[in-house]
Parts: sequence; structure tokens; C-alpha cells
Amino acid sequence: MKGEKRSAKAKRYELKSWREFPLMNVSLGTMLHNLTGSWRFIKPIYEDKTPPCQNACPCGNDIEAWIRLLQADKVDRAYLHLKREEPFPAVLGRVCFRFCEDQCNRAGLDESISIRELERYVGDKGLEAGIQPEVPSYHNKSLGVVGSGPSGMSAAYFARLLGFHVTVYEAYDVLGGLLRTGIPHYRLPNRIVEAEFELLKKMGIEFREGIRIGKEIPFERLCQEHDYVFLGPGAHKCRVLGIEDEEAGPQIMPGLEFLKKVALGFAPDVGRRVTIVGGGNTAVDAARTALRLGAHEVTVIYRRSEAEMPAHPEEVREAREEGVKFRFLASPEKIELRGKETIELLCTEMELGPIDESGRRKPVKKKGSVFTVHTDTMIVAIGETASFPPLNELLDYKGGPLDVSEELFVIMPFEGGAKVYAGGDLINIPHTVVHAVASGKRAAVAIDCDRRGANFDEVLSEISIGEGQGLSFSRYVGLGPLNPVRQDPRKVVKKENIVYDYFDKASRVSVPVRKPHERTKDFEPYLGTMDKVQAVSECNRCIHCGRCIECDNCLVFCPDVSILPADTGSFGYVIDYDYCKGCGICFTECPRFAISMVDEEVDVKEV
Amino acid sequence: MRRVIKGNHAVSHGVRLSRVKVISAYPITPQTTIVEELSELCASGALDAKFIKVESEHSALAALVGSATAGVRSFTATSSQGLLLMHEVLHWVCGARLPIVLANVNRAVGAGWNIWADQTDSISQRDTGWIQIYCESNQEVLDSIIMAYKLAERLLTPVMVSYDAFFLSHTSEVVDIPVQEKVDEFLPPYEPPYKIDFSDPRMFGGMIGPEVYYEERYRIYRDMMAAIEAYGEICDEFGDAFGRRYMAAEPYMIDDADIVVVTAGTITSVARIAVEEARQKGINLGLMKLRLFRPVPHELWRELLGDVSKVVVIDRNLVSGLGGAFASEIRSALFPLESRPKVYSAIAGLGGRDVTPADVLGIVQQVVGEEADVDVPIFWGLKE
Repeated sequence: MKGEKRSAKAKRYELKSWREFPLMNVSLGTMLHNLTGSWRFIKPIYEDKTPPCQNACPCGNDIEAWIRLLQADKVDRAYLHLKREEPFPAVLGRVCFRFCEDQCNRAGLDESISIRELERYVGDKGLEAGIQPEVPSYHNKSLGVVGSGPSGMSAAYFARLLGFHVTVYEAYDVLGGLLRTGIPHYRLPNRIVEAEFELLKKMGIEFREGIRIGKEIPFERLCQEHDYVFLGPGAHKCRVLGIEDEEAGPQIMPGLEFLKKVALGFAPDVGRRVTIVGGGNTAVDAARTALRLGAHEVTVIYRRSEAEMPAHPEEVREAREEGVKFRFLASPEKIELRGKETIELLCTEMELGPIDESGRRKPVKKKGSVFTVHTDTMIVAIGETASFPPLNELLDYKGGPLDVSEELFVIMPFEGGAKVYAGGDLINIPHTVVHAVASGKRAAVAIDCDRRGANFDEVLSEISIGEGQGLSFSRYVGLGPLNPVRQDPRKVVKKENIVYDYFDKASRVSVPVRKPHERTKDFEPYLGTMDKVQAVSECNRCIHCGRCIECDNCLVFCPDVSILPADTGSFGYVIDYDYCKGCGICFTECPRFAISMVDEEVDVKEV
Repeated sequence: MRRVIKGNHAVSHGVRLSRVKVISAYPITPQTTIVEELSELCASGALDAKFIKVESEHSALAALVGSATAGVRSFTATSSQGLLLMHEVLHWVCGARLPIVLANVNRAVGAGWNIWADQTDSISQRDTGWIQIYCESNQEVLDSIIMAYKLAERLLTPVMVSYDAFFLSHTSEVVDIPVQEKVDEFLPPYEPPYKIDFSDPRMFGGMIGPEVYYEERYRIYRDMMAAIEAYGEICDEFGDAFGRRYMAAEPYMIDDADIVVVTAGTITSVARIAVEEARQKGINLGLMKLRLFRPVPHELWRELLGDVSKVVVIDRNLVSGLGGAFASEIRSALFPLESRPKVYSAIAGLGGRDVTPADVLGIVQQVVGEEADVDVPIFWGLKE
């Protein structure tokens, strides 16, 4: 048809009489000669865009793609696709605060896709099967990573995928950093962390446990031994209340210390009553852990109201289910020990005053509103700050998050030594596992850019996703997207771009959750994992925002029959611009915004 | 298979048996249950057809312009305001020569809001180039749908089958539902002379200038008039196949009648009783049931009514500024006769008001007694 149409000419029919006219109002000859020509001023193109989940993911996880692979029962490929952008799906599938789900366009119809549960399913399947991404051979540059927490491991993983010799230095005897010592086992079991580390070891990453930089190995030596150093020491220094007798006895302890002890098998006896001071995730984790250690009355005291709590609302809800009490707008003033066991904690009621520098209303004391709390154990979990002593002199650094540039480069402290980068809780980003992982990934790419003399900013503009939070490692290393079509990864698909009429309501698949009174009896995980049928049916709810899935809607709707399937074996469709009028119906009817309308390029001379 | 079904379901059965491929409709009382049942038949797979949901009657018929051009048997149903909203497309379908069948439940038009029987809706569309058939019973409704496809496809002219709201649409009667095999024998698959073919794209509905438009319109007129003869043939074929014969206009005790009452739709059944009662009273009353209204079967009307002295036409419609539409057209058809009956017009049953045999007799007696003015319609039973 293609060859014949240009040569087709409007044929003149010489009719002797109107009686020879066709019975219907129809042209006598073909209309192939009737090309659109210069009439069209905009035209449709297939252009994949970034789904909101991927845009919201600090790590730039290509969620839609692996969901599609999983939907087609290609679990192994889904796992490898997931591992392109993220080092340990089985971990993040358990502990991520799922920023992706908050932005999911499916919520415009019913409920967001259960992305984290799907990730856990794929992550576990991958671990079971022992699948590994292909690892390249080494080049001659090496990276030393300080800390085996989420940011350090992420930097190590991606740097290894970029050909670096990687050595990880861990101060503790166990690997995992916060994953191992800060996150309770009921959320992240040891066996998962260990299995992920086994995979990392198989990739050729070297680990040195029990080495604290600045103690067993001087920072300077580290910098001389490696071409690059990544600092991911985490935030271990617990903030103190600064009130009298805060260190009066062993039954008063910092939150992270408490969690660490429990995780490493040295759980303290907390007694019947436990009071936790603070409103962050550590406070809530400590409260839930205390319940599992046998405490009967666990109360969290927080000086602001619930709305200002930094802890994730889901954690707070689950803690409440388990019996944790919250006392808001209260602040400890004074600690008094009564005998060996009981603490008398004098508190003041607070009220919210004007907005402070954190953007939240500042709590101020209510006059004459003192009350007393009797407790056996008091846990102070009002935040942790980063510290890395070797930097103190070099940077005039006193602890706290470093304010680093986008490439996360900190310093080249010793002449001819390593360039030092930083990530995780040491830098000024939200303190979540996925943000730490994202910082390690970003640093690995920045380090590799430096290695090959590329301008990181320029590279970043090529590989940034959506609004620029995440970056695509796939694109950095030249791995193509799932759909071999034109991409505009900076364009994010919004709810108003989705044609919801094409989707039937279907409720979100829920995983089995252990009952609160049962799950507080031990440290076993309380969230179940989906089975295959559930996983596939949850994947079937995905809208595939901004990505062509060959649904044929455009082909059906095109009034000019100008959308044709691509050749056998090729992906998608071809648009026959000889006849396409640029009416935009395919664009309007595409359920998922995988088609864009672009201005026609007009050659002025030709016109 | 004999079943007690409502008129609307008789339509659905007719559509199912005609193996319609595309149905597009918008619900309106009292038509709704037709499309309800059809959508269920499509959903269950009992009818292998595409059911297109649309946002208006205009779109319903416009969608069928597409499907019929694509070459498949197409159906819609509507009523009252819905039919009026289709008006523009009704003309187009005729000009495009698309053999679409439309079931119209005769319902009054607003304002005031009235959902009951009245033929003003289809009467107002009599000049759109559609063949019009009016039905008296649920059986006739079912049979007419099947016959309509045969007629439409033979002449490439659309057909509108009309029947009274509630008196038929929502009233159950015994209906003999033909078996599929016999219907298939009577109504072969539609073979359009032209249809959309992606490998040989043509232009449909293109512009035709003054040099041929006139001839095109003549041909539409000619083919429409040919429907009178075609209707007769199809009526015979149908009668032979199913044992039920529906003449274009049906006489009842006309041979010795002095006065003939003319009716369309359900008033006909009432008028039959009135004819018998009138005869007992010594009035030689006959009845002509009007069925085919477009094209106008002039000759048949003249044959049936030419020899009587008086004709009274009962219209369940009112054309403001004229009177009863049927009366007006019958007068016009009889006018060329050298000796012709006096034709009286009566308006009755508007907006669903009941018309009883006593009402028909009352109208007839006015005509018999020369009380009625031949120039002015009889408004029977007008409330004080």
C-alpha cells in the first residue's frame, strides 16, 4: 500500500449518465492519492514518559517496567530490571516508606498500587533464585567505602557495576549498619540482610569488618590506599535532652543504643513500664521493641502534636494497634530516681506557639501544668546526629549533616590522595533508607564521571528522571528502556493525564498481617508476602502511566486508519503521516499518556 | 415458541433474530427496556453484536452511520425527544442510503412533560426519508423489525417501526417468537454494495454538486416509492414463511361500508370493537388500519376508501396549524379521484389519554349525524 499511494492519482470518471452513479454516496475510485500534505500542524508521536512512582522514588526505581515484566510472569527479568536502579530489593521491599505509592495515579481511581509489597515479592524471588546482575571486569581505580549501611552499600554496589575495585570498612563486627542495628527484626529479619550481603560479596566487593576509620586505620592511610573514598558512617550520636540526671542510671538509655543492643542479642530488662521520649521513627521502633521485650505499659511522650511527628504515620498507626500509648504536647523536665528501679519523670504540658525555623509550630511550656510519670525504663530517642571524627580538623567539622553539592563531593584532604564523597545520614538529606541508597548511587555515578573526566552536571542533565530527584543508572551505562520508543523522562505523568474511564475499579491486594496481640510476642516479621496470584493481580491494577503497553486503543480510535501495528517482532505502532490529520484522537484516547502531540516542523521554503 | 412478552421485548427479540451486529442507543422512557434487554443479550453472548454506549440520541444514530457504512446490520431505538434529537442524522442516513432500522416508541413531545402514547414524535419526522411503519400489536412489532431489515436492505432506505407507548411497550401479550433458522431463511446476511475496506479506501458522504444532487434526490424518491411494491412482495414472503400477513393498509368490513374509520397503532384494536357495535346499531361502519405511512400507498388507499361516502380519520397526533396528519395525507391522496368521500378528521388519545370503543362510536355518530364540520377536526371528549 505504501508504494502505491504516492503514485495513486485522482482519476476522473467520465459517466454517461447519473444512472451509472454508485448506489451509495461513495467515491468511484481509491482515495489513496488524498494525502494530508501540509494541512496538519501538530502530529502525534509515541513518547514514553516518567510515571509518578518513579519520579517520587529518590532512587529513580523504574517501577512500571518491572511491574510489567512481573505481570508477564517474567520474575527473573523483573528482578534484574529492579536491580538496575537499586541494590537490595528484598530490603527496601520491607523498610521503604514508599514515596512511590503516595504519588501513584491509580489512587485517582481507587487505591495506589501496593508497590512495596510487590518489590518484596520480586526481591525475595530473586534472592531465592540467587540471580545476579552481570558484573563488569575491573579497571584500575579503587573505591574505599566507610560504613556498610544503606548508603555505603549502595555506593559499593553501583561502583562495582562501574568496574571499581571496592573495599568496604565496617566499624562493627557485623555488616549492614542501620539495617542490622537500627531496624528491628520484625521489620527486617537478619537472614534477609545476610542474604543480600552474600550477593554483594559474590559481585567481588571486599569487606573488612571491625575496622573503624581513624582508629584501626587512619583516615589518611585510607585516602592513600584508594583513588576515591565514600563516607557513609551514618548518624550514631544520640541527641540528649539536656536535663538533670539524664545519665543517672542504666535504665535511662538513648534510643538507637537500645535498638542496637536488642538487634545484637543483648536486650536489656526493661521492666513493666517503658517511657520513650521523642517523635521520630527511632522512638516508635523503640516503643514497639519494648513491647516485644515484655513491657506492659509503653508510652511515647512527644513535645509537639501528632501532626508534627517526624515518624512515618504508618509506623505510628501500627504501634497504636499494638498498644503503644502516645502522650502529645508534653516535655520531660526533671528525672528523679526512686530506689533502684523506678524513675519519676517530671513533665510539663506544652502548647503550640508560632512557627519555628523547621516550619512547624514551636512547642512552648504551659504554665503550672507539671505532671509526673512513673516508669521502669526511659528511652530518649530525640534524634541522632552524624559524626565522622576524622573530618573534624580537616573541615572544622563539629558533627551533623554536611551540606554538600549535588555530586556529593566533600574534599580531597591529602595531596595526591583520594577524593572524598559522602552520603546517607552524613549529608543533608531526609534520613530514610531509600534516601541513603539514592545518595550512594548518585555518589558512585559522580565518582565514575570524575574517573573518566566527564562533567557530572552535564551527565546529570542526561540521566535525571522526572523532576530530577532520581537518576537513571540504566541510562548512565547505556542500557535501553523496556520500550524501544522515544523517551521524555523529564515529563511526569499526572492524574489529569490518565483517562480513568478505561480502567475498572479493583481493590488493592493486601498481604496477610499478623494480629497485633500475636506479633508483639516475638520479633518475627508481621507482614506477609504476596503469592504469585496476588502479585500478578496487583500488577494488573497498574496503569502503566506514560508507557505504551500496546493496548491497541490508538489503533482502534484512529479515524484515518493511520495507526498501524509495527512490523512483526517490533514493538508498538507506526503512524502513517501521509494520512494522519493530526486530529489528536489517539492522544486524547490513550489511557496512559504514552502519546504526545508535537508541532509540525514546517519548511518555510517549501511552503 | 409462544411467549407472553411486552412490546419492548418483542423488539429485542426481533433484533436478536435479525442477527444485528451493532446496536447503539441512549435510554429514554418508554424505550429503555428494549436496550436494557439488548445490552444483556450482548453481554451474555446470546447476541453476537457490539453494543455502543453513547451520550445522546444524536450520537446513537451517528454511531450507526459509521457501523452501517462499515457494512453491518445496525439498530437503534428511541422515543419522543430522543427521536427529535436524531433529526439531523435521520436525514443523513437517508441520503447516505444506509439501511438502518429504528424502533420508535410513540410518545408525546414536551412541553408539558408527558411520557405517554402519542404519534406526534414520528409524525414530525415523516419528511426525513425514512420508511415509516405503525404497529398495532406486540406480534406485529416483532415481525415488523424482521421485515424492516429486508425492506431497508433491498432498497438501501432506512426504516422506522413505531408503536404506542405503554399500550404496547409495557403491556404483555402472547407473541409467537419465530425460530432462528426460519428467520435466517427469510432474512439472509446483509451484503452491502459498498463498505469500508482498508485495502481500498473510498470516500463516503462526499460533496456532490448541483449537476448531480438533483438526480440523486430523484433516485431516493424513486426508490422510496418502489418500497410500496417491495413491501407487498416482502409481506407475501413473510406471510408464506410465518403465516402472518401485514398489508400496507388493512381493511376490516369495508366492502359494504358507508363510513370507514381510519386508525393507526393501538386505537385500531379499539376501533374493531366499535365497528361491530356500530353494525349492531345499524351503522354500516368499516375500518382501515393504516400501517405503511411512508411511502404513502396512494393507490391502496384509493382502492380501499374511494367508494365510501364518508371517511373519518382518527389521529393520535396533532399538527398545530393543520390538524391530524393522517387525515391531511389521506385527503391529499384521495383528491385526484373524480368522486371521493368526505374526509373528516378527529383528534383523540393525545398524551396517552384512553380511547374506548364508545369514544370511536361517538366520533362516528357525529359524522353520521352531519354534526361535524368537515373543515374542522373533531376534538372528541374535550373537557369543559
